[in-house]
Amino acid sequence: MSNSATELLVSACIQVLQAYAPFDRMEAAALRFLAERVKLAHYPKAAQILGSEMGVARTLHIVQRGQVRIKRSGGSSAESASITLGPGRCFSIGALMAQRESSSAYIAREDVFCYELPAEDFFSLTQKSSVFNLFCTQYIAGLLRQSQQQLQLQFAQRAAEQKTMNSPLARVITRAPVAVAPETSVRLVVEMMASQHLGSMVVVDAEQQPVGIFTLSDVLKRIVLPGASLDQEIAAVMSPAPQTLPLAANAHDAALAMAMHRVRHLLAVDEGGRLRGVVSERDLFKLQGAGLRQIRHAIDSASSVEVLVHAREDVRQLSLTMLAEGVGGQEITQFISTLNDTVTRRVIELNLDRHDLYGIDWAWLSFGSEGRDEQTFTTDQDNGIVYICTDIMDREQTQLRFLEFARDVNDDLDKCGFPLCKGNIMASNPDLCLTLEEWEEKFSHWIRTPEPLALLNATIFFDFRPLYGRFNLAHRLRLSLLRQTQGNPLFLRMLAQNALNVAPPLGRIRDFVTGADPEHPGTIDLKKYGVRLFTDAARLFALANQVEATNTVARLKYSSALMNIPPDEVAATVEGFNFIQILRLRHQHFEQEHGRAGDNLVRPDELNEIERRILKESFRQARKLQARLRLDYQV
Amino acid sequence: MVWLSRLFAGHEAPEARLTAGQQRLITAWRQLPAPVMGRSHYRSRYVVVDVEIAGASWQTDPLGSIGALAVVDGLIDFQQAMELVMVKAGAALEVAGRPPGQGSEQATGGGPSAEGLLEFLDFVGKAPLVAYHASFAARRIERAFAESLGVELRLPWIDLAWVMGSVFRQFGDENSRMDVWLAHFDIESIKRHNAVSDAYATAKLLQVTIARAARDGFETPASLIELEKAHRHLYQSG
Repeated sequence: MSNSATELLVSACIQVLQAYAPFDRMEAAALRFLAERVKLAHYPKAAQILGSEMGVARTLHIVQRGQVRIKRSGGSSAESASITLGPGRCFSIGALMAQRESSSAYIAREDVFCYELPAEDFFSLTQKSSVFNLFCTQYIAGLLRQSQQQLQLQFAQRAAEQKTMNSPLARVITRAPVAVAPETSVRLVVEMMASQHLGSMVVVDAEQQPVGIFTLSDVLKRIVLPGASLDQEIAAVMSPAPQTLPLAANAHDAALAMAMHRVRHLLAVDEGGRLRGVVSERDLFKLQGAGLRQIRHAIDSASSVEVLVHAREDVRQLSLTMLAEGVGGQEITQFISTLNDTVTRRVIELNLDRHDLYGIDWAWLSFGSEGRDEQTFTTDQDNGIVYICTDIMDREQTQLRFLEFARDVNDDLDKCGFPLCKGNIMASNPDLCLTLEEWEEKFSHWIRTPEPLALLNATIFFDFRPLYGRFNLAHRLRLSLLRQTQGNPLFLRMLAQNALNVAPPLGRIRDFVTGADPEHPGTIDLKKYGVRLFTDAARLFALANQVEATNTVARLKYSSALMNIPPDEVAATVEGFNFIQILRLRHQHFEQEHGRAGDNLVRPDELNEIERRILKESFRQARKLQARLRLDYQV
Repeated sequence: MVWLSRLFAGHEAPEARLTAGQQRLITAWRQLPAPVMGRSHYRSRYVVVDVEIAGASWQTDPLGSIGALAVVDGLIDFQQAMELVMVKAGAALEVAGRPPGQGSEQATGGGPSAEGLLEFLDFVGKAPLVAYHASFAARRIERAFAESLGVELRLPWIDLAWVMGSVFRQFGDENSRMDVWLAHFDIESIKRHNAVSDAYATAKLLQVTIARAARDGFETPASLIELEKAHRHLYQSG
């Protein structure tokens, strides 16, 4: 209606809204769309504006005047009385997005005027305005944080002493960095280290960007023992290209980077790449109390499998602590994978002493969740070996040597808490201990003849990742795999069909479908009906778009950039995936604390309101991914 | 004095000046069912109006504009709003000199155009009308309809000044200026003395009032009229 009266009221409404986020940044057309469709409601003092008994939320409320009090259901009213919403605040986005009743009651503290937008216009708005869409997405992410805070309370006493691991490096660093120019003499550097009690010296260029690092142990190995000249430039003996992290990274990131790169010092740099401080393993050790350093040290120096068994238990304990702290699902699963990698590498090293594989190019591969860097607390072995056999006559002999070696490694890993794989997906299986050409042929066969078993194999083996040995063999295998999948739309289509075999357990009437497994009524298998939906889609995206990554989040991020999927949409997907992972980890932890083998069967009824809502949102994200597959592959 | 000169200028009945289409619209409006006054405020449609005078004198200067806004089921809908401009405020002084009955629906010298009033009629339907100091608005609006369209509105009017004086006795009375209530309830005004803006502010006062009245047992439009009557009786006779 183009009418001067309406125009005046709509402009006035726009002006009011523009004073508040996110409306201040909202696209002009979207803001107008909103202002043209809201109606103004009034609520007298003490009136309930929205409550759980009012049924599915049908309206977005934006406070225009007055204060609204939120009363959480089940929460202590004394504490929540302080939560009020003033002008410009919206509610209840969570209930609207999830199409369910609000879990909190919203009550007018005084005379309140609210702009009200019907649900269907709310959804149109999220489509019209990327600003508003992002705002709502972040709101959901906020709910996730709330949920993690609740989790944190459950583990309060343990969380308290660990909190500092979340601090940014800027707070961890206690002293100003000492650095020298590359042309400084070794003599001067060593003198400075001695007089100032420095464990390491950073070498920086004219822009203060680190170019190398020189540590106390380097003095011994590179200067004293070889009898090198003290007058040469430090640049000649330093370790170049040191590991750096941005100042904003936290202590966990540092711990992870140290474990991954096997270094004991990390350099913190600012946005310009300039040196701002040095973080040593000792600094983290101080923050951490017992933990990471001891575990890493114990693993690296373990001389027998018995020692590793203890270390593996420590890994589990440490990840539990991280879980208690509210560290995200992605970080924890990656942390577990990284430390499990370290254990596996040490087991391999220990066995190499007893098996002579000298002169052969080979690599230890991990598959499945380990290949994707997504291990949880309960995980069995999924591994294989790739090797190069230059002489065809030697092939059988070489394979026998690898099989013997693999059998010992598999057994030792079993002792360390990685149970033998029931499906015999292990390097000691002759079918999985193959030359590079044989692996390529195997992959190519599955791709050319995508019958059900081949597709199942693809979901396990195409997520391979090298753990030990010649990493370039795995890289070559990856490139040949991508070449083959890209040129084979039929295979990708079959893979899409396979991924769509399982639907997210969202119900039409009830929130969740829990009857999928007759032996465990009332539960949802979060691996089969949760994580799998995301990993399957991510794998397909990666194979179709030549993305080399195996990690699900990395695959989603890299391939969506190539597929022109907006970043906030990907962020929401990742958020959903991570939430399901966290629920799995928590459930497994709970099961193990009670002496049971951790399964993935979660009862939605036992989750709290917020968790149920986010779980539903997470499944909805999976459904969105599946819708994209359906569209892209017309299945 | 435009309406006066108009009144004496021609003696033909207003209907005679209307087109057949316009007369059909009036007939259709007349056949609308009478307003339902016994339903809850939150199931009723009110039309809130505000009139602005083009000039300094309430009594003698012409109607400048009418702002109208519907409150439907307790909600203000920006799409259900209209403004009827009869004389541009600045043009008020020159009005008398212009020939009547020409040009667009607004700002013709001779008074409100039939088209504009018909649009207003269509917008109001048979809803009860609400205004702050309603008797004044009622008089001016009803006269405009009678003169231009030959229509007697005969719609119930609710005077918010009286109703609020009764419902919020402790904060003010029927003689309070509207600004007093706006300040008390912290209701902002977009553009004071703009008919639409004032109708919007009045509509928000109506929202506040029906919420309190409903709490006190006055839950329908009819009960507001009862309330007003009783209050008038009490104070005007005293």
